[in-house]
Parts: sequence; C-alpha cells; structure tokens
Amino acid sequence: MAAQSATRPRGPGVPQAMSGATAPATPLLRIAQVEKVYGGRQGPVRAVASASLEIGRGEFVSLLGPSGCGKSTLLMMIAGLETPTSGTIELDGSRVVRPRRDIGIIFQDATLLPWKTTLENVLFPIRILKLPLAPYRERARELLAMVGLSGFENHKPAQLSGGMRQRVAICRALIHDPAILLMDEPFSALDAITRDQMNEALSEIMDRTAKTVIFVTHSIREAAFLSDRVVVMGGRPSHVILDERMPFGRPRRLAIEETPEFGQVVRHLRLTIEQAHGTAPSGRSAGGE
Amino acid sequence: MAGAIGTESGAMLAAPGRAAGLGGLGLGSVRAVLLPVALAVAALAAWQAVVVLGDIPPVILPSPVSTLRYIVEHWDILLTHAVPTTLESAIGFVLATLLGVLLAIVITYSSLAREALYPNLVFFQLIPKIALAPLFIIWLGIGMQSRVAFAVFIAFFPVVIATTAGFTSVDRGMLRLCRSLTASEWQIFTHVRFPAALPYIFSGMKVAITLAIIGVIIGEFITAQAGLGYLIIFATARADTEVSMAAIVVLCVCGLLLYGLVALGEIVANRIFSAEPA
Ligand SMILES: Nc1ncnc2c1ncn2[C@@H]1O[C@H](COP(=O)(O)OP(=O)(O)OP(=O)(O)O)[C@@H](O)[C@H]1O
Ligand SMILES: [Mg+2]
Repeated sequence: MAAQSATRPRGPGVPQAMSGATAPATPLLRIAQVEKVYGGRQGPVRAVASASLEIGRGEFVSLLGPSGCGKSTLLMMIAGLETPTSGTIELDGSRVVRPRRDIGIIFQDATLLPWKTTLENVLFPIRILKLPLAPYRERARELLAMVGLSGFENHKPAQLSGGMRQRVAICRALIHDPAILLMDEPFSALDAITRDQMNEALSEIMDRTAKTVIFVTHSIREAAFLSDRVVVMGGRPSHVILDERMPFGRPRRLAIEETPEFGQVVRHLRLTIEQAHGTAPSGRSAGGE
Repeated sequence: MAGAIGTESGAMLAAPGRAAGLGGLGLGSVRAVLLPVALAVAALAAWQAVVVLGDIPPVILPSPVSTLRYIVEHWDILLTHAVPTTLESAIGFVLATLLGVLLAIVITYSSLAREALYPNLVFFQLIPKIALAPLFIIWLGIGMQSRVAFAVFIAFFPVVIATTAGFTSVDRGMLRLCRSLTASEWQIFTHVRFPAALPYIFSGMKVAITLAIIGVIIGEFITAQAGLGYLIIFATARADTEVSMAAIVVLCVCGLLLYGLVALGEIVANRIFSAEPA
C-alpha cells in the first residue's frame, strides 16, 4: 500500500504551496479566552481557565496534557455539547453555541449501533441529518474502502476487531463531510501494534481528505507522529502552555519514529509537559486564585 | 404448569440476552429437548399407573387418559370457556404492555416522574396484589372489564421495570454522538433507545403474559359466567374433578399459545435488531 500523495500538502515540512487553499489567512477555528467552570457538589471545578487557540484549514492539531487538564472539556465545547462559561469559539466564521452539522466526532469507544451493519453505521449521521441516502451509500463504500474495510459492509460490529470498529467510527465521522474532525483519545483502547497501524492509516487518510483535525491523546509519540502542531495544555488553572509545529514532512511513515530528529522532538515535548506538571500543584480542585 | 412458566421467565427478566436466539440446533439441543419430554412422559405414565393400579376414584384424581378422553369428547364446551379467558388475558396483556412502555418512557424522560413514581411502583410490588382482586369487582362490576383491569394491574409492573432498564442501558457516548449530530430526542428514541430496549421489553412482556393469565383466572374464580377459571371453580364445587382437570389442561394450552406468540414476536424483533450476523 503505497501512500498516496497528499491532495493538499500541509505543515512546514512540505514546500509551501501556491494554492490559496492552504493559506491560513482566516483560521477555520478560533478559540478566544475560553473558560469552563463546572458547577459541582463540592464547589465549582474550573476545567479550563483560559484557552486561546487558532487552527487553520487542513491542519492536524494534537492536544496533549495531564489527565484532568480539560482536553475533553475543550473538545466538547468545540462540538457545541458544552457551553463555555466565558470566551468565544468560532468555527468557519460563525460562533459555536450548540451542536452543528459540520462537525465529526470520534470517541475512545467506537460507539457503534450493535444491531446495524458496518454500512448502516457509517450512514447513521445521514439518517439523523435527513439527507438523501442514495448518494451517500456510494460515499460510505468509498470511505470504507479507504480505511481497508471493503468486504465488511454487511458485518455487524460484534464481528469486527476493536481497530476495525474504530475505523468504522472514523468513516461515520467523515460521511457528512464535516469541516472539522474532533477525536478524543480514539486509539487509547487499542493494543500498541494496532495503535501504530491505526496511526499510520489515519495519517494517510488525513493526507487524502485534507480534513482539519483536533486530536486528543496522552501519547506524546502519537501526537508528534500525526500532527502539524502539538498543543500542550496544563497548569493550574489549566491553559495552553505550549504550541509547537512538528518539523516532519508528509506523507509520514512509522519509520520516522526511528529518526533522531523525531526522538528530539518527543524529548522536548516530554520535558515541557513534565515541567508544567511539576511546577503546579496537581490537585483536582477549582484552584481559586 | 403455568406457575413454572412464570418463574422461568422471571429468571429471564434478570438477564435479557440479545444474542439468545434459536441459533445452533446441534446434537446438544436434541438432548435438551428429548430429556425434559422423556421426563414429562414418564411422569404422566406414573400418574396413570398410580390411578389404575391404586384404584383411585376419579373424584380424587382423574387419570391422564380419562382427562384426555373428556377433552376429546367435550371440546366444544371447553372451547366456549377457553375463548373469554384467552381473549381477556390477551387484552389485559396488550394494555399492560402499552401502559408499561408508556410509564417507562415517562420515567426515562422526566426526572420528576422518576423520583415520584419509581419508589411507589416498587412499593406496590411489595403488596400481595392478588388480595386486591375483590376490590376490582366492587369498583368495575362483574363484567370482563374488572378482570381485564385486574390483569393489567398485576401484569404491567415487569414491563415498566424491564423497559426502563432498556431505555437507560444506552451508552452515554452514543447519546453524546447523537447530540453532536443535532439529533432530536425523538430521533434518539426511534434510532437508538427503542431498538436498544427491545430485548428488555420482550423479557418484560414474557413475564407479563403469564401474569395477565393469572389475573384473569383469579377474576373468574371470584365471579364470572364463563371462562376456564369459572369452569374450574364450578366443577370443583360439584366434585366433578375430571372437568376441572380438563379445564386446567386447556388453560395450560392457551397459556402456552399466548406465550408462544410473544416469543415469536421476540424472534422476529431479534432478526431485525440483532447484534448477530444476519
Ligand atoms: N460534567 C462535568 N461536571 C463536573 N466536572 C467535570 C465534568 N466534566 C469534567 N469535569 C472536570 O473537569 C476537569 C477536566 O476534565 P476533562 O475530562 O476535560 O479532562 P481531560 O483532560 O479530558 O482528562 P483525561 O485526560 O483524563 O481524559 C476534571 O477535573 C473533571 O473532573
Ligand atoms: Mg478526556
């Protein structure tokens, strides 16, 4: 399986294209001073203190950070499933105030409907969005072929492995051609080898579809391998402590993980995270100032 | 016999299995059918032998053969009594299922209703509800409505419990995914909650059908002009044990028939909403 050349090259590793599409003139996603305070029984919890972030069209951005630093919360706010306590989130020029159709989500678990076939599961968003099924059926088959699941269209989730199920979930998130893909630790339930395979597959898929992706993970290597940019959250209260471009070209193969350059980047990220973690108290409370 | 069905389906309520179907009729299942049938036949033979050899009068215990003979000779009388009992049981069961699913929907979607209703439902379950049967006659008269109402009253509870469990069994991630896709509550219900709850609903319905029959029979014991329960009481009072026994056998057949219909519905639903490959 030779990697297809990217439809739209991105990242600093590739020579900047002259096409206007990649020019980050207007960011697709603009997160401005977003704060989220959960009201809880034992007092309020400040999950995100002040997050500001801009993500360009076609960028693959990973969110790293210690457990409880508000990565999932931020993702839920971008999806419109949670409302920021203050600050604004703008996607494609309009504010996110509720769930919207131009977002695709993938969770840690595939969350497929067990009684539906692979194809039907991929088509689920089309049914919910009340779009015409016929044209999307073909697209669903194409997506399944892209993730290597041709021939599994009529299988039920119980007949698929964990990695295959997560690939179905990726197709489902892409079927309605969302502007942005939100992935919350999508591979953390998989074994190490499957996870590596999934990473390489995802990298290839994203090169082809040129989708904007926000990818939450605990794995520094995974983040470094997949991303154009790695954003580290942390500190008490939690905010963005690092925003770094990954200096690797595309397409990427797993082999780059063996290069000294990759090792250096990973080491640098790890140090930054440890420093941020070490200098701040790691209590889970609201952290009143 | 009917009691045995009740306890068996009670156990099913605890563990509804989507996968549990009629899959794999191998050698093991031939054995699983043959063994209980052999035991039942042996028991009937023993019964026949005891009655014949012990010279037991039919008033005390009619033999299986004489019971069968009575059924064959008087099937028309038995049928006229079987019809109202079966019909009332079926009506009571359908109403109990509708009421049960409706209450489960209310409990699932309204936390107010859940907090107010659920403890009371459980408390109601603790009263020996059969003791209330005579009151239904006082309230609703001696017609079929009192028996149907009583059948509904004792049969709806397992449907509520099982269906509520089914509706709330849906994975939270799935609900979040639906909401992220701007799904309406109605869409979530029809696409996700209801299909996910179907195996639970059927396990509740299987218990409900046996309870509905019990409810109708008790109603007929108290007051009725027809029906198998009426026939049993009437014949027993006249020491016509053979008639009672025949009525009981017909009752078992009617019960199995109704239960079979529900089980058939379950198989059909499982075909459509199964995690197993088609
Ligand atoms: N619905 C909620 N109600 C109250 N507090 C919440 C809620 N969701 C998250 N929190 C709190 O907000 C903080 C951030 O949670 P979040 O799940 O966003 O962290 P995370 O970075 O995704 O962690 P992890 O890496 O473990 O997934 C935590 O302290 C958590 O307890
Ligand atoms: Mg999380």
